[in-house]
Amino acid sequence: MRYLIAALAFALSATAVHAQTIKIGLVTALSGQSARAGEAITRGLSVAIDEINAKGGVLGRKLELARRDDEATPAKGVIAARELLFKEKVAVLFGGLDTPVSLAIVPIVNQEKIVFVGPWAAGTPITKNGAKENYVFRVSAVDEIVNRAMLQYAQKTFNAKNCGMILVNNPWGESNEKGLMAALSAKGIKPAGIEKFEANDVDVVPQLTRLKAAGADCLFLVGNVGPSAQVVKSLDRMGWMPPIVSHWGPAGGRFTELAGPSAPNVHFVQTYSFFGKQTPVGHKVLKALMAKYPDIKGPGDVTPAVGVANAYDAMMLTAMAIQNAGSTDGPKVREGFYKIARYEGLIKTYERPFTPDNHDAVNENDYVWTQFIDNQILPVGMKK
Amino acid sequence: MKAALLAAAFVAAFLFTMQANSYYVFIMATLALTALVGIGLNVLLGLAGQVSFGHVGFYALGAYTVAILTTKAGWSFWAALPAAALIATLTGALLALPAVRVRGPYLAMVTIAFGFIVEHAAVEARGLTGGQNGIMGIPQPAAFGLAFGERGVALAAIVLAAVATAAYWLLDRSRVGRAMRAVRDSEVAAESIGLSPVRMKTAAFAISALCAGVAGALFAPLSGFVTPSTFAFSQSILFVLVVMIGGATFVAGPLVGAAIVVLLPEALAALAEYRLLFFGALLLVVLWLAPEGVVGTALRLFSRRRPARRAAAEEVAIAPPAPAALLVQGLGISFGGVRAAHDVALEARPGRVTSLIGPNGAGKTTVLNMLSGFYRPDAGRIRLGGRELQGAAAWRIARAGVARTYQTTQLFGSMSVAENISIASGPESLLAFVGYAGDMDARASDLAHVDKRLVEIGRALATRPAVLLLDEPAAGLSAEDKSTLAALLRKIADAGIAVVLVEHDMSVVMGISDQVVVLDAGLRIAAGTPAEVQRDPAVRKAYLGEAHERPAAERRAAAERLLEVGRLAAGYGAEPVLKNVDLDVKRGEVVAVLGANGAGKSTLMRAIAGLHRPVSGGIDFEGRELSSEPAHRVVRQGVALVPEGRQVFPELSVLDNLALGAYSRRAWRREEIEALLARFPRLRERLHQRAGLLSGGEQQMLALARGLMAKPRLLLLDEPSLGLAPQVVNDLFAALERLRADAATILLVDQMAGLALALADRAYVIDGGRIVASGPASDIAAGDALEKAYLAVA
Amino acid sequence: MLVTSALISGLALGSMYGLLALGFYVTYAVSSTVNFAQGSSMMLGAVFAYTLAVTFGWPFVPAALAALALCALYGVIVERLAVRPFARRGSSAWLMATVALGIIADNAVLFTFGKEPRGFSLAWAHGSVRVAGINVSYLQMAIPAVGLALAAGLHLFSRKTRYGKAMLAVVQNADAARLMGINVPLAITLAYAASTLFAGAAGIMIAPLFNVHSDMGTLFGLKAFAVAILGGITSAWGVMLAGLIFGLTEALITALLGSTYTQLLSFALVIVALALMPNGLFGRAEVKKV
Repeated sequence: MRYLIAALAFALSATAVHAQTIKIGLVTALSGQSARAGEAITRGLSVAIDEINAKGGVLGRKLELARRDDEATPAKGVIAARELLFKEKVAVLFGGLDTPVSLAIVPIVNQEKIVFVGPWAAGTPITKNGAKENYVFRVSAVDEIVNRAMLQYAQKTFNAKNCGMILVNNPWGESNEKGLMAALSAKGIKPAGIEKFEANDVDVVPQLTRLKAAGADCLFLVGNVGPSAQVVKSLDRMGWMPPIVSHWGPAGGRFTELAGPSAPNVHFVQTYSFFGKQTPVGHKVLKALMAKYPDIKGPGDVTPAVGVANAYDAMMLTAMAIQNAGSTDGPKVREGFYKIARYEGLIKTYERPFTPDNHDAVNENDYVWTQFIDNQILPVGMKK
Repeated sequence: MKAALLAAAFVAAFLFTMQANSYYVFIMATLALTALVGIGLNVLLGLAGQVSFGHVGFYALGAYTVAILTTKAGWSFWAALPAAALIATLTGALLALPAVRVRGPYLAMVTIAFGFIVEHAAVEARGLTGGQNGIMGIPQPAAFGLAFGERGVALAAIVLAAVATAAYWLLDRSRVGRAMRAVRDSEVAAESIGLSPVRMKTAAFAISALCAGVAGALFAPLSGFVTPSTFAFSQSILFVLVVMIGGATFVAGPLVGAAIVVLLPEALAALAEYRLLFFGALLLVVLWLAPEGVVGTALRLFSRRRPARRAAAEEVAIAPPAPAALLVQGLGISFGGVRAAHDVALEARPGRVTSLIGPNGAGKTTVLNMLSGFYRPDAGRIRLGGRELQGAAAWRIARAGVARTYQTTQLFGSMSVAENISIASGPESLLAFVGYAGDMDARASDLAHVDKRLVEIGRALATRPAVLLLDEPAAGLSAEDKSTLAALLRKIADAGIAVVLVEHDMSVVMGISDQVVVLDAGLRIAAGTPAEVQRDPAVRKAYLGEAHERPAAERRAAAERLLEVGRLAAGYGAEPVLKNVDLDVKRGEVVAVLGANGAGKSTLMRAIAGLHRPVSGGIDFEGRELSSEPAHRVVRQGVALVPEGRQVFPELSVLDNLALGAYSRRAWRREEIEALLARFPRLRERLHQRAGLLSGGEQQMLALARGLMAKPRLLLLDEPSLGLAPQVVNDLFAALERLRADAATILLVDQMAGLALALADRAYVIDGGRIVASGPASDIAAGDALEKAYLAVA
Repeated sequence: MLVTSALISGLALGSMYGLLALGFYVTYAVSSTVNFAQGSSMMLGAVFAYTLAVTFGWPFVPAALAALALCALYGVIVERLAVRPFARRGSSAWLMATVALGIIADNAVLFTFGKEPRGFSLAWAHGSVRVAGINVSYLQMAIPAVGLALAAGLHLFSRKTRYGKAMLAVVQNADAARLMGINVPLAITLAYAASTLFAGAAGIMIAPLFNVHSDMGTLFGLKAFAVAILGGITSAWGVMLAGLIFGLTEALITALLGSTYTQLLSFALVIVALALMPNGLFGRAEVKKV
């Protein structure tokens, strides 16, 4: 019982309200398989918040981050979102690593008129949710657009005619199946085959063998870093190495270590890479990350980089929106997003990133195609 | 008082939810829905004693039914809700089909598999369920043109949880609820009062599935979405946790459990990624503090004594509606090729006490088990009145009018005394009739031994049987209680019931029986009036064994005292089995402890060997006190017990059994085994066979040899001749005689008094847990203490 | 080719399930309790071995042995903290307590070992031979070999050593075992140590084929429970055989019908099998006593 009381007291003291701060909420997976991605978002937001606070905060008030673990399930996510909105009274809510969690949160924020910013989940309907007053903004990839880009890249780079899909059997994989099918049928093509695999599968040879038998000359891969590595290792065992065009999953960790010597065969999409020549913003952010997190010793330790980069830019844009609004009032902050004219960010220089018709700041022109060379994510073709 | 507290809690929850902000509304709704599932699961886990790690499957079925019907088929919520409830309930009954066939970990696995199947079906049936991304935008219910909103759903959930709590309270007290608890406490006894365990478990599965389905049906509009990941296996574990941490069987258990499981993570929310770590740790702490659940522990701390309620001594009719005789002919059964009973005939007529006696292992209980339907006989007929009963299910035989009691009482332990009677549809005044004078509201498992016996007889009478079968009702009773019991049995017979009594206590048997049937080794060896049976030499032989000549070799005068037992008392529960036993064994002596079954002989041996703890009094062996040493330390001191029933390790070879005998000495030499094989030549041929394949006599030799491998300075032998053929018994005693000649010190318990006395230097006679006679073996053999203790010959 | 590859991978997975399930068997046999979070024990084996071999740079064999020793130690902790306090009082709360301990272990690893999955590659495991048109890595062949060797090791230990026979004695008749001078509570603790040791061995073996992260064991642990039950939890060989059957069935369903149906069908088959054979495929019915 003593422990229980001590823990409760600890929990309560941690939530004690600091009157003068502006609270920024984050709902994401912080435990389990996606813990690393949740941590990346945390780091991107934290570095941005530190930078903003060092310059005196927003509207003269410091920003403060309140994080909640959604354990990657929508049911936990909506409770966490409500807690942050109604109990913590956050000004802006960040979050949603998984598309279903984000989709579950969307109706709540639209009803309560609090801005919800997505730094990760790529499901199309998150921002295109049909609400009359849409409070959802995103600084991340959009599956639909990524899927079109994947097809285009496969056709252009590998002259692929008959692509097969190898998709992890989870909501993300399923939404990409839809997106890829749409992209293919827009060009009147049929896939060589659609194969699913479980995130915990040790062996993907059977699925890949079927795709090979169907004459696939290129693979579309969607899966987190671990499962993606399982696909590459299985291909190795089969002795089959078709070109692989992938969503950003492999960037989520030490892909070379996991997938072995064939790792560079996977070309995947990124919104940002901390490798190679950096802009001044890139230098600044990497330096701040290395100073704040002792485990980051170089760009190779910033994984998944997209999470950090998206979250950093999203926080910066959000601060500008609040500044523009001159208030933390939800509807005014929403208007504030539309008023952002220009921001020199990490991913790119944003020019009018948001309009009432477009709540996605990142589009197909911002994707870079990359591959793992040793432990570095490098733009394709940078190193042979 | 408790009901008022619960009602107040629900009203407070309702009022709070009326005005709370959206976060707290959602939390209250989640709490109420979790409690609702928990209440249902409490029916399964608490009342019926069945575990399910797949209840999220029913929750998902309810949620998906509502989601699909309201979004795709355009139904209103109010039409979809009963459909969801129906689907969940039917699936629950369907799952019960395989589930009632398995138990323990097998049941856990069946339910786990069910949960997974539902989750994965939701993923794969994409057209219907929306696949991995599920169904979003589920409309909230409306009534009278008003949208319910989250608050409305939350309030409805709270009302439903309150209704379910009340329903559980009613069910717990209803006939069905009591029948479920009866099945949980003792499936065997439940069948013997005519309840079908399969039906009760199926009902429990269906009810708990209904609750989970309804909760799921409300979850869908509350959250507005359903996805497969919401219904993962971990959620099923949380549901079981709700019941276990709150306290299974308690009305408030799932409510408290749901509060802990839902609110604790919320209180820890600010810990972000460390939340699960703390949740796990706190969970462990709560389990340590309250292993039977928070409510159970709290009730124990705060419970007050209530006044005892006693049964009124009213006139009660126990005469059977249709008196009938039980006719048994040619009854037989074998287990693994061994004939346990063969060609047994018996006639039990109304108004008469028919006793079935015989030495241990004669097959008496086996016959009772066939008569009551627990064993299916291989041959023979059992007729009651005009009905053929052989091979019918136990609960059908019970309904036909055959009631029974058990060697170890099979009361419904978690129920009160009064409930034990009323579950079998009897009036409470039956308790006064059987002579139970205690509190009618006492828990049956807390009763004194004699009261358990009486209540069990009362419960058997409550079914208004034509035949009452009793399995050793006098075992463990005091002399006074035995005579009360005998009078009761006579009274029951006089009311027109056919009483069939299996009993070792001959004073009881001889005092009240009209007819005595004697079994030995599965065969009927004699039948007649008590006096006829007592005079029958075959019966005498079966019980006492033949009197044997004392072997010529006289014993050295023994001086040094090896073992001294002083004021030893031990028991199981309230009534001690051993009372103030004083006994000693000198070095080089063979001492026999004789007495009828149930006299406490085996308990004495187990107490000395350390298997029975705790005991009071002293056990001094070579100056060391053994009374608080556990068995594995006692053997290291040099005291080895060859246990009753031999208890060889059946899957190990004879050689391995022997080697294990030397375990306490760490190392053994081949010559030691050789020496034993010379002593027991039959074992040499079987040295590498599995011990389970040996005959009974060989197993006994092995058990003896295994005991000797410990090089004990005192060898304890518990019923070595039990269940062995006469020739084998002679061989065994010859081997023991050789041991004696080699100056082994032996303390021996055996029913075969003649043989034991031939072997022993001294003997003790034990009766009712007390030493009633002791002296040189020849004196005991000549005296009448033995016959008195065995056959109650006055 | 599809079927051959499925058979090879099913054999490797199956022997892993079998090993994990043996862990359930050894504790159930002596104490009628199991560690419900057996997947966490497996994960710990992989995490310990990775940390010693990669982070600390030990050679593989001593690293693996030390990892197994640490796993055994964890087994002792499980028994002392989560099983004994409850089993002693006749409470079934050990079930929940082992789950709680598993949650603690998984999350403790998440914060100490790290949140990124790590690749545990072994130089010698990279080689492969060509069998029926596909490359079979040495590792894929080593897993069933090591799995069966460990099962055989358990068999030999229990048949040929003093302590092994003492364990069998406890399984067959705990009271008689006490009379032989065997310390039964200690035997139960050791059974738990052996149980987590087996799980740890499975974790170490699967790590190079898979990857190492804090919840790598969850699903494996659950499937292994299914295997243990199917095998009829009271027979060591039955459990190992059921592991192979389950692994092969899974691989064949994946190969012939696609992996989306694997879990659906394999769990449905579990229910059907138990409905037809309530004591598992190789278990023995307990005699009903009244």
